[in-house]
Amino acid sequence: MLSAKRNQTLVALGLSTLMLCLAAAFAEPLLLLAALAGYVFVGMRYGTRWRIERGRLLSQWRRQAEKPADEAADAVAVPVGREESDDLVGEILRRRRHALLARPQLAATLGPAHVAAALAALHESMAVVPQGRVLLDGNAPSLTDTPAEDRQMNDVVEVWVDAVLIDRYPVSNEDYQHFVDDGGYEQMELWATEILPALLDFVDRTGLPGPRYWRDGRHPAGLARHPVVGICWYEAAAYARWVGKRLPSDAEWVKAGCWPVQFGGEGIVQRDYPWGEAMDRSRAHLWSGESHGPVQIDQYAEGASVGGVHQLIGNVWEWTSSNFGTADMHLIAEGANRAGHAARLKSLRGGAFDTYFDSQATCHFQSGDQSIARKHNIGFRCALSLCDVVGCESMTTNREHHPMECETTAAAGDEELAAVGSREGG
Amino acid sequence: MVRYVNVELDSVRLAQYAQQVPCYICEGANTFDAELCRHCYAPMALAHQARSQKVRPQLMAVIGSSGVGKTVYLGMLLDMMSRQTNSWQVLARGAFSITLQQSTVAALAGCRFPEKTPNDPDRWNWVHCQVRPPRKRHAREIIVPDVAGESILEEIDHPHTYPGIRALLSRCSAAMVMVDAPRLGTDGGEQDFFAMKVLTYLSELIEDPRHGWHNRPVAVVFSKADQCESAFDSPAAYAAERATGLWRHCRERFKQHQFFACSVTGACVSRLTPDGRRVKAPLRIEPRGIVEPFVWLNSRMKG
Repeated sequence: MLSAKRNQTLVALGLSTLMLCLAAAFAEPLLLLAALAGYVFVGMRYGTRWRIERGRLLSQWRRQAEKPADEAADAVAVPVGREESDDLVGEILRRRRHALLARPQLAATLGPAHVAAALAALHESMAVVPQGRVLLDGNAPSLTDTPAEDRQMNDVVEVWVDAVLIDRYPVSNEDYQHFVDDGGYEQMELWATEILPALLDFVDRTGLPGPRYWRDGRHPAGLARHPVVGICWYEAAAYARWVGKRLPSDAEWVKAGCWPVQFGGEGIVQRDYPWGEAMDRSRAHLWSGESHGPVQIDQYAEGASVGGVHQLIGNVWEWTSSNFGTADMHLIAEGANRAGHAARLKSLRGGAFDTYFDSQATCHFQSGDQSIARKHNIGFRCALSLCDVVGCESMTTNREHHPMECETTAAAGDEELAAVGSREGG
Repeated sequence: MVRYVNVELDSVRLAQYAQQVPCYICEGANTFDAELCRHCYAPMALAHQARSQKVRPQLMAVIGSSGVGKTVYLGMLLDMMSRQTNSWQVLARGAFSITLQQSTVAALAGCRFPEKTPNDPDRWNWVHCQVRPPRKRHAREIIVPDVAGESILEEIDHPHTYPGIRALLSRCSAAMVMVDAPRLGTDGGEQDFFAMKVLTYLSELIEDPRHGWHNRPVAVVFSKADQCESAFDSPAAYAAERATGLWRHCRERFKQHQFFACSVTGACVSRLTPDGRRVKAPLRIEPRGIVEPFVWLNSRMKG
């Protein structure tokens, strides 16, 4: 659509220039007038294009604000004919949005074959992280004056995590392209209300909606299987909603990597790395002096966790749904503008291809960045609570049996590190 | 029981004291057992190394205002280059040359910044290292000091306050001028003005136009560029846009100059300590553009 408009504009520009030349050559006032009209047309077109786009987005935003929240889901659930239903399900599966179909509310309206296909796709792309307790560092190293070697076990917080599915691989450019092609940046119901005014800034190098390092709304050629980078926390969260998932919380992410084991109600033993206790640089893509960017999401297969989750360590940092630091820390991101001062920092996990120190590429190390940061080495993966999958609805936690803080779907958005229960217990 | 001990004859000691050892930086006379030069406070180990190994190390200056990141940059550079195997390599000479690398790396690995370099010249860090280009047998000896930013400013504003800095900048084969990229264009142009003062000072330091700074390589490095990504896209364009005065100074006064952008951290945060102080802390270490200016300067240094 945009390229057709651009072609019209270029044709008008060319014709106007030709007429101007002819007018100059033959001193013909009519041709001169025609050329001027052409230039005015081009000027208006360019000048108004951005205003039109902006107006369209704002009107969509207003419409969506008046819509009920679950209208989008209802739209998918409208009964359709068998062939149309096949097409629709096929299209959803092709775009890797199978988690939507596996939700109990939608699965009830589908045939068994469609549900089976969705569950098979889910099983192939996501790994189960069983429920249980996990140990998290109470404070990131950047937020404490105590050297790492002097920190005690009481700096560690014990957190309960419900069973969850987590993507086996980070989200790739190929996956994210479906979201961009489907107009994900224009579907206001996917975005948090507070970020809507900033949505027009989430553009690629050519000014079109998309990750920062893309061009013309397309990912760089040859990088389809590379993790998507240059997306902020809000873009990651919007994509996750579009595919019917969410971002994993910090505790879920750490549990997927550390794979904690509890011995008869006693202590918890968990790993520092998905593959064991010691750093092995052959299993993760980290700084080596020669690495200049991320690699494909399926490389470094030997670095997978016990549950089969790949590239938790290295390649790209991953956004989680949790905040970095606690609310009373008065953290200010360096380089943040006046608006950025108020923005909370979001948690990052796992290290990236340019992470220099081994100690900053463990499952326990927490970093953070501004929620609107769109950086070259930050990507994400998605999660899905097991209770949101058809057939697993009953797999919820009885909190009474777990007095420590619970990591649940509801809590996955925020503030899980408060560890209130843990402090009360301790 | 008879014990044999070595006792130096007073005459020998007096003879040694009579022969003065010139400082490698300021060429001032010192006694043979002096640890630091009594004129400029540079370590006398530099002079002893140069004499014993029969090599004449070249000097490289890293200049910038206070807090621009000179110590972090140098420490990181040394650590990165000493870990590389297939590219440019650095080998430290003398234990004192490893101190800077050690303190910087220990701090950054623990998500802290190293202590600020003190103004006292006797507490500055000096690095003497061997730099070997890839696939070449010939190595170059280089001395790089880590000088406090306030002292540089003091010397520029009031020449001869720090004789060591003046002597160093006169003898340097190359210079790296560091500019705080996020602060460029803010704070009343402090960064821009400081860099211009440094460049003016350098260009007027040596009167002989053949050996002056006009022909020596100067790298202008925008530090902390992780906070302004556009500096990485095109450092020269960033300079032209955000530091026009600096950009024009470079174009008109230095035949060999190049703009670079670098960052050591991926993100930083300011936080309040329990006693109410605000401290900066790195959230992760992701060096970018660290080696490039050093390699560029080395490839253009004569000798």
